[in-house]
Amino acid sequence: MPRVAYNDAALTVWRGKDSLKFIDGLSTNKMVDLKKGEVRQTVFTTTSAKIIDFATVFHMGDFLAILTHKSNLKNLLEQVLPKILNQDVNIQDVTDRNSFWIEYQEKIGQIGTFTVSEGCTRANISENFSIAVSSLDVKLDSDGTLDEFNEWRIENLVPWVGHEITSKNHPLAVGLAEYVHPAKGCYVGQEILARMISRKRQGKILIRVANNDVNEKFITTRGDSHSLAIVRENQYPSNSLS
Amino acid sequence: MFRYTMDCGTCETAGPVQVMTPEVVNVQLTISNKAQEMLSDAFGDDRSLALLVGVLSGGCSGYMYDLQIVEETDQSCQEIEVDGFRVLVPNSSSHLLDGIEIDYVDRLMGGGFKINNPNAESSCGCGESFS
Repeated sequence: MPRVAYNDAALTVWRGKDSLKFIDGLSTNKMVDLKKGEVRQTVFTTTSAKIIDFATVFHMGDFLAILTHKSNLKNLLEQVLPKILNQDVNIQDVTDRNSFWIEYQEKIGQIGTFTVSEGCTRANISENFSIAVSSLDVKLDSDGTLDEFNEWRIENLVPWVGHEITSKNHPLAVGLAEYVHPAKGCYVGQEILARMISRKRQGKILIRVANNDVNEKFITTRGDSHSLAIVRENQYPSNSLS
Repeated sequence: MFRYTMDCGTCETAGPVQVMTPEVVNVQLTISNKAQEMLSDAFGDDRSLALLVGVLSGGCSGYMYDLQIVEETDQSCQEIEVDGFRVLVPNSSSHLLDGIEIDYVDRLMGGGFKINNPNAESSCGCGESFS
């Protein structure tokens, strides 16, 4: 299974009885029913439904470990910390104590769970994609390159932070619709996303396209022959919300 | 085998992320005549009860109003009397609630208690959430 370093990953530990409910109110996926041993991804959004960060939430039992991104962490914390108010939520940044890896291409364990073995915690994100977190004393090696991983992402239409998942876009435009829960109730940015979904109009969409078939400025991840691009949905209606 | 730990990488010795606690504000608020009528109905004769006016995170705009009729609360609150009503405002959200008007909108859909908040930059369509 190819493994590449996930250098932009950040890890925070959230403790307190209100943590899950707190995250549920600030992000797009339903989080309140996450159980111990499960992992789920969600998108923190602004009031205008733009992405703050894409998060992977591990329910560790007595705390939540939330994998986000170093490049977005300051902005994320600026958004969430003032909203704690009198809720029981405490956050620690443990990024520097861990290393982070992406493993892909081979079939993994039960999706939505994580396993821990030999000092490494693996979140089974999709059928052939996992995120591994290990403490610094555990030695793991890369056996793939970022370019190879990007080719795999293009082939499988997997958006990534810094490429497609940026603060300029909303979750639906970058292929994160499966992390926008349709009936969980109010969360930050919900009005806008709900309107897009109900009207089946989201503005922009993520597509995989041959390099010569799209204007360069729309390309978000360039591959050897194909790329990922974010384009107006009326230019590629078959890829829109249906 | 499942083990719900992340080994030493998440131990409790990591320092907490610093939360800037907003200054506690001495809240002044008003209650419209219509809202006073509806609160009188809700309270009845028992004026030992209090109206807790708080803020929760979430909602479409980031914060949600939280109105409750309570006897007491374990939150650290400031207690004020407004038009004969005992009102409790949590200190942690006092900076968001100073100057508000509690109103009541009488209509079949979307009616009920409403908060008019001069501190809010925006609010969602239902009026329950603000930022």
